[in-house]
Amino acid sequence: MTISSNDFIAQSVVALQEAERLRTRKELGKHMPALRTRAVEEFGDFEGLREHVANVRQHALDNLDYYLPQFEQQAIDNGNQVHYARTGAELNDLVLSICQRHNARKIAKGKSMVTEETELNHHLERAGLEVVETDLGEYIIQQAGETPSHIVGPALHKPEAEIRELFLDKHPLGPRELEDPPAMVEEARSVLREHFLSADVGIVGANALIAENGYSLLVTNEGNGDLCANLPNILIVCTTMERVLPRARDAAALVRLLTRSTTGQSISCYTSYYSGPRRQDDIDGPLETHYVLLDNKRSDILASDYKDMLQCMRCGACLNHCPVYIGAGGHAYGSVYQGPMGSVLTPLLSSLEESHTLPSACTTCGRCAEVCPANIPLPDLLRDLRHDESRSKLGSGRWRVSMKLHAWVSQHPRLYQLLTGLGVRTLHRMGRRRGGFSRLPFASGWTQERDFPAPQKDTFMHQYRKQAAQDE
Amino acid sequence: MSDARSDILARIRHASACLPEAEVKLALSRLGAGPSATLPHPDLAIAFLTNVLKNQGTVDIASSRSEAVVVIGKYLYEHHRSRKLVAGNDARLAALPWRDAGLLPRFGEAESGELAALSYAVAGIAETGSIVTCTGRNNPAANNLLPEDHIVIVALDDLVERYDEALDALQSQRPRGINVISGPSGTADIAMHMVHGAHGPRRWHVVLLGHVPADCVEHAQALAGLANERQAEPLPDA
Repeated sequence: MTISSNDFIAQSVVALQEAERLRTRKELGKHMPALRTRAVEEFGDFEGLREHVANVRQHALDNLDYYLPQFEQQAIDNGNQVHYARTGAELNDLVLSICQRHNARKIAKGKSMVTEETELNHHLERAGLEVVETDLGEYIIQQAGETPSHIVGPALHKPEAEIRELFLDKHPLGPRELEDPPAMVEEARSVLREHFLSADVGIVGANALIAENGYSLLVTNEGNGDLCANLPNILIVCTTMERVLPRARDAAALVRLLTRSTTGQSISCYTSYYSGPRRQDDIDGPLETHYVLLDNKRSDILASDYKDMLQCMRCGACLNHCPVYIGAGGHAYGSVYQGPMGSVLTPLLSSLEESHTLPSACTTCGRCAEVCPANIPLPDLLRDLRHDESRSKLGSGRWRVSMKLHAWVSQHPRLYQLLTGLGVRTLHRMGRRRGGFSRLPFASGWTQERDFPAPQKDTFMHQYRKQAAQDE
Repeated sequence: MSDARSDILARIRHASACLPEAEVKLALSRLGAGPSATLPHPDLAIAFLTNVLKNQGTVDIASSRSEAVVVIGKYLYEHHRSRKLVAGNDARLAALPWRDAGLLPRFGEAESGELAALSYAVAGIAETGSIVTCTGRNNPAANNLLPEDHIVIVALDDLVERYDEALDALQSQRPRGINVISGPSGTADIAMHMVHGAHGPRRWHVVLLGHVPADCVEHAQALAGLANERQAEPLPDA
């Protein structure tokens, strides 16, 4: 997993200056939460549902030693081949060797964050295979040579005009208008249809694995995942072990929660369950099917205090509700996982050394935890990561010294009150006339965007004591 | 070096409680099925039709099999000026009185560019406004995905209230694939504009077959927040 997360600040500065994209993100930050809110209200007992699914997944993670082998056995009984990969590199090698064994030339891929994580496409392409992303958003960024900016809508950062230019450039179809999104979707549909029909191998992810019957759950709106899973002769499902749920009904409960949190739908257009290769009487379906189950540090997370993060269902609600994500944009995170979930997951899947700025890319406003369908205490986990960052002495020298100084002063109440009192009175006097400051030393970045209001005359503690004295 | 499988499973065991099977099963049985969505109407048929409409589907009701083929013929004429249709090798579809509508479907697997495919759902789900098909001879997966229009017959008796009920009912059959379909293929990946017909069908039409009150479609339309659909064009001689 290649990341550039420690450049978060520089990358977000760039993002904040891209006016049109910032406008698009602000639109997303209003539109998506509104869709979710309506869906949650219509559902009824949404809190009950959230709690139920969290309990089921907790149970599944606590007993993964039981459910993973159960899933494996069922999947094998259904005719699948099940493989394990400790690292992204192992997954990539496994997938490549399956493709090479079948002399595959072309691969049609459904949306899969796991293969984004392992950078599977590069690996297969280096070996001379043609890989076609078929989710429209993934297809757009693949054509543009970019990385996803949102775990659900990977190309949502691209304005319509950019996609039009991209298609005109990449599809050799002669002069044409592509006047609106329907025309662009139509063109992508016909281009990708040919790829579906000629692909040798289909690769998809899984939203869940069902232990009791060995099925995998695939949720899409476009139907591209189903085309990948049914048309090519070979199917490879790339996923991770924490996707295992005990029962089919648990997958149903997960879907209720997932789609409402993602797009505000009560269910996605295509919710499919696949068991394995085609049967004797079948006239459709793949001849050979594989599961590749990736660990990539998830077993470490399972044994750590960050275990709750394994409940993440990749819905994207925390991104849509995060003021930092809306401001900074997905690419600033320098990772395939963005927003609050990305700021927790990226350090855990790579290393804190490579991504220690991410846990601080948070205002601790708590909206992510409010909307997280998996009830993950994201702000708490981010705070814990900041502790780890501090313990590992990863922040800048200036930052660490000021935090130490702050900690020392806060532990000396008299000194703290003296200094804050002095500061507040000075700022009050200086800012009395204008009511605020348009520039402040050591905080020019902050005052560039807004004024700092002049404080009241006294600190809270001072006023509190005065009030107490009066009351007596 | 040990193999990846035993390595990973050992790590998981290390992080797990390693409870005996009976205890795991007992804990699971206590978890129940969780709440389902509130139905928009207590009547299963109206609730189902309402949610199909909310999922951007269109609906027809047919009180008999002969009426079903007539509404399907009408739909095909309206959208494609055509009588062509592909359907899976489903005995229930083969037995429909096709001559009543002047239609003769091709039975088999849909090809790319096909105008319309017809499926006979194994279930309809009121909670989500979905239809369920299983892959295989009766309904090859391509029939759900490749045509421009996907038409689905659901028998009133096959309606269930909850999503998980439909899945539980298929547990014993264990088909290769279970497809729960809830609308035409859609995408909002270009600047958040919703467009139908991303990769799969552009239109999704559900025919509910059974004795339901004639006004249940109007009822569902009102509940789904839709005005009455425009009057269908008159039938050609059929």
